Amino acid sequence: MRLFQILFIAFVFFNFAVMPTQAKDMVIKEPPKSLSKYYPPVSKQPKWIQQMHKMSGHFGGVFLNLKEKDFENVDKHADKLVEEYKKTSEMVPEWEEYFDIKAAEEFATAAKTHDIVKAGKASGGLGKTCGKCHAENEVSVWAKFHWPSFHKIKVTDPVSEKEVEFDEYMGIISSSFKGVTVNFGESQYGRAAKALKTFKSRFMELKSTCSKCHTGHDVKRFYVGKDADNAFAGLSQELNSDKPNPGKFWKNIGMLGKTGCKHCHLVHRTNSFIQEMWEQPE
Amino acid sequence: MKTFSRVLDLIIGFGLIGASGITFLYFLINERFEWIPETALELTRDQEILERPKAKKCSECHKDIFEAWKESRHSISWTSKTFIEASENRSKEKCLPCHIPQSVQGEKPEPRIDLRNEGIYCVSCHFIDKKMHGPYDLLAPPHPTFRNPDYVRSSFCGSCHQKTFKEWQATRVEDTCQDCHMPRKKGRLTQKKGLNLLHKKRWVADHRFLHGKITEKDVILEAGWEEKLFNLSLQNKTIPHFVPTADNGDPRLYLYIKFFNDKGEEVDSAKEIIAPQQETALPYNKKINFQYRLFNPVSRAVIELKYQSAWSKEKHQVFSKSLSR
Repeated sequence: MRLFQILFIAFVFFNFAVMPTQAKDMVIKEPPKSLSKYYPPVSKQPKWIQQMHKMSGHFGGVFLNLKEKDFENVDKHADKLVEEYKKTSEMVPEWEEYFDIKAAEEFATAAKTHDIVKAGKASGGLGKTCGKCHAENEVSVWAKFHWPSFHKIKVTDPVSEKEVEFDEYMGIISSSFKGVTVNFGESQYGRAAKALKTFKSRFMELKSTCSKCHTGHDVKRFYVGKDADNAFAGLSQELNSDKPNPGKFWKNIGMLGKTGCKHCHLVHRTNSFIQEMWEQPE
Repeated sequence: MKTFSRVLDLIIGFGLIGASGITFLYFLINERFEWIPETALELTRDQEILERPKAKKCSECHKDIFEAWKESRHSISWTSKTFIEASENRSKEKCLPCHIPQSVQGEKPEPRIDLRNEGIYCVSCHFIDKKMHGPYDLLAPPHPTFRNPDYVRSSFCGSCHQKTFKEWQATRVEDTCQDCHMPRKKGRLTQKKGLNLLHKKRWVADHRFLHGKITEKDVILEAGWEEKLFNLSLQNKTIPHFVPTADNGDPRLYLYIKFFNDKGEEVDSAKEIIAPQQETALPYNKKINFQYRLFNPVSRAVIELKYQSAWSKEKHQVFSKSLSR
């Protein structure tokens, strides 16, 4: 039981040390260019995060084997951790200063005493180096390399049948949407009905756009699914009736905004804003 | 005269022996190859073929199949411009398993590391555990060959074309993917001179993986007028999966409707996009209805259907019809 407690404390100790301590006024700086070579499309594999996993695996391996009293493997993992840590420190020259080889070696030495308390204490110095880098760079690395960029996506506008940039398409679809709402607000129901057809075809085109990245249908149905279909059917019914009901019309408009636009913007917009900043010409 | 007769006898004699030998060899190779000891066959194996060979190596014997495959979309699954653009320079992981499959065996394959430029090639589909697998049990000295009935079943194609396979299953049509996209004709599996004649002719599948052309016989149009409405339906009558179909590509049918007044002036128009990614593709043998409200007096409609494949921006006309009121 005591061993478990020690192990738990050691993990908590390390995790606190390695967890990024984000400041409230965090600056999201674009990652250095040299990091690009460790991520697709320059690299076929996301080598940087794989490197992180390697170090994390060896670190965990030290403590797991200390628990099992498998000291041969403790020593192996300790040596491999130092080796990978050194290798990582050379991968991105701009980040060299985050690394403290001495702290890594001290941890390995402590681990090799096979005393879990000593190893836990020594992990603090090493963990701090990880935590500092994570605090300053983790968000931006994820934003840059783990989220595909919307700005590379091209969309075929179903009306003009021309391929346009994603941002441009968002402008086009927004104008189509206003064609429906503004005309309805002015009681121009015929015009609104025509605008609805255009808006619907552009809105539905987004299903094709989603499938450029998402393989499963469930994802695109989350954005453009049954609710959207029902809303469009309701809108069409109102606009083709002799006396459209404004209450039903706006309810359906609200449904489209909530399920389609809002869902997607909530998931993707923040990251897209960050990428947009970096993609602007200097 | 006697000498001549003896020579003739010898020629006939040797001829008969030779013909019997060739006949026996033909029989042995085609009907009783299991009589040949495995140890003897081991001596004839080509080591290069047993180590995931390039398609070019296979073409040394299977020239016709290689030439057909070269014409197919499968051969350029990794190198086509459309794929490179759509996969953001091949960086989208979801594309890799089926564009560079390691081994296709009825489930979604793993992507491979080597020979990526070969795309979906001979080895991807036929090479398992240093043996060639296919629809026949036969003797091929350079490599062991094993029959697997899956090669003529749709489920094999369904390893990658999963969505299309499910659509086909739902139709309960017996014709398989291979029946339409790999039609078979009698021919020889190998073109290696001399050896080809020792193998009997078999049904050989077309490895161009034919795409087929959609015509007005496949998609049936029906249309009619009401006072302020124009109703139209399309029915995929002959193709036992959705039209168009794709797991991840974006092929489309574009339906254009133009409305004209008495003077022949265009007064309105509409358009439908029929595409698998928009979940609007035409299911097998089911009418899909469209309705258009007429805002102006209309006396004629022109309906045009065009097809655009997943790998091209070009549209091909399926039909164009004019309907008067």
